[in-house]
Amino acid sequence: MNPALWISKTGLDAQQRDISVISNNLANSSTVGFKKSRAVFEDLLYQNINQPGGQSAQDTELPNGLMVGAGTKVVATQKSHTQGNVQTTDNSLDVMIDGKGFFQILMPDGTISYTRNGQFSLNEEGEMVTSGNGYTLEPAIQIPEDAMSVSISQEGEVTVTQPGNPDNVVVGQINLVNFINPAGLEPMGQNLYRETAVSGAPLEAVPGVDGMGNTIQGALETSNVNVTEELVNLIESQRGYEMNSKVISSVDQMLSFVTQQL
Amino acid sequence: MDKMLWIAMSGAKENMNAVSVRANNLANANTDGFKADLEQARSMQAFGEGLPTRVFAMTESPGQNFAAGALQTTGRNMDVAIKDQGWIAVQDQNGNERYTRNGSLEVGTDGLLKNSKGNTIIGDNGPIFVPQPVDKLTIGSNGNVSIRPMGAPENVMEVIGRIKLVNPPNGNIEKGTDGLFKLKDDQVALADANVKLQIGALESSNVNSVEEMTSMIALQRQYEMNVKLMKTADENAQRSESLMRIS
Repeated sequence: MNPALWISKTGLDAQQRDISVISNNLANSSTVGFKKSRAVFEDLLYQNINQPGGQSAQDTELPNGLMVGAGTKVVATQKSHTQGNVQTTDNSLDVMIDGKGFFQILMPDGTISYTRNGQFSLNEEGEMVTSGNGYTLEPAIQIPEDAMSVSISQEGEVTVTQPGNPDNVVVGQINLVNFINPAGLEPMGQNLYRETAVSGAPLEAVPGVDGMGNTIQGALETSNVNVTEELVNLIESQRGYEMNSKVISSVDQMLSFVTQQL
Repeated sequence: MDKMLWIAMSGAKENMNAVSVRANNLANANTDGFKADLEQARSMQAFGEGLPTRVFAMTESPGQNFAAGALQTTGRNMDVAIKDQGWIAVQDQNGNERYTRNGSLEVGTDGLLKNSKGNTIIGDNGPIFVPQPVDKLTIGSNGNVSIRPMGAPENVMEVIGRIKLVNPPNGNIEKGTDGLFKLKDDQVALADANVKLQIGALESSNVNSVEEMTSMIALQRQYEMNVKLMKTADENAQRSESLMRIS
């Protein structure tokens, strides 16, 4: 059948994929620690219909060929790991990473996953866990039952005050990890990321050291989705979708014309 | 029988090819760094004995529209767009030097600087290797890639390479079947220090969708006229057949 139909079909598929990515960004515009994605488009291979330089007559050559591309494709969704905005909450267990780095979260199956969402809560044993599903922070930090207040320093040191003790007691240390290529981490939902072959191995360090970000208590990092930008992208994708479907209907009319007339 | 039918058919068939070129442009209206393919028709004479009426049509793609696409700011420090004229040198799958305007860069697992399509960026001295771990990577407007190694003081920036930026004349550059551009004579272009990068932006596709849609409509009507001519040829043949019929 006519290649234009298939070319436009690839356009429709790609625009639709782009709209899914945009709608996921918009849906997560209030998710703490969310990083926006972007669909990366790429043109497909080209088909040589007339070879440039082919013989057009005995001693003349075609100066130009005819090459028709096969359409477009979304090859990747690229996560943009730029910093989100600061939202102060004054909750002592809200921690924000100001700069690079990820918190380490121990999964129930014993593996480690990574997150930028610093909304922590305590479980029944007093351990710091993620708010959504209660996975414990790694290394585990246990807040004593009689703690009156918890403070987390910029270097990740967690201290508590206890009744009858004028000195702060250190109960743990939050370490951050960084990756060579954070965009290569695999998002697994629940604000968590998993290490992959392209992300590189995790490099652990104390916050504020070796280029790692600081931990800020009483603040959260909002999603880095720019709603206006996403809406502009949405308009662009929608119009692109409409124009590709217009090509399909044009080609359809051409084909129906020929069957009716001949 | 006159060969009018074949002439009209060649016109209709080549119009379909032209529509495919336009459809591909529209499909790539969102592909970063894409350059719209142009399409034109050429007359191919096939004169024989009798009247010189045998001129077939042939659609060809004389080149690409090299106008710059709109700059889209992304704020990502590894997105680069070329200001005005110029190309970024990359390696294709076989290691040959090719040119692109797609400047969404990233560091691959092998530590080499690549674009989002996976093509390794060529520096002035071969591929650019980014030693790990790196705290900060910045790209200068002249293509200099500098890094601050992890743990180094704030003021230590080390230049690890310079992206090869070239600016061959547009007439000497053509699109290959993988969508990357190359020189027509298969030579390697020389680096040009006048090509400047805009950091934190990407060049969007330069497809003008209104122009493409208008051409589509024009091609569609032309196609219909060619089909009408085929119909006329058919009717002529029917008439002469009925004249000749012995009733």
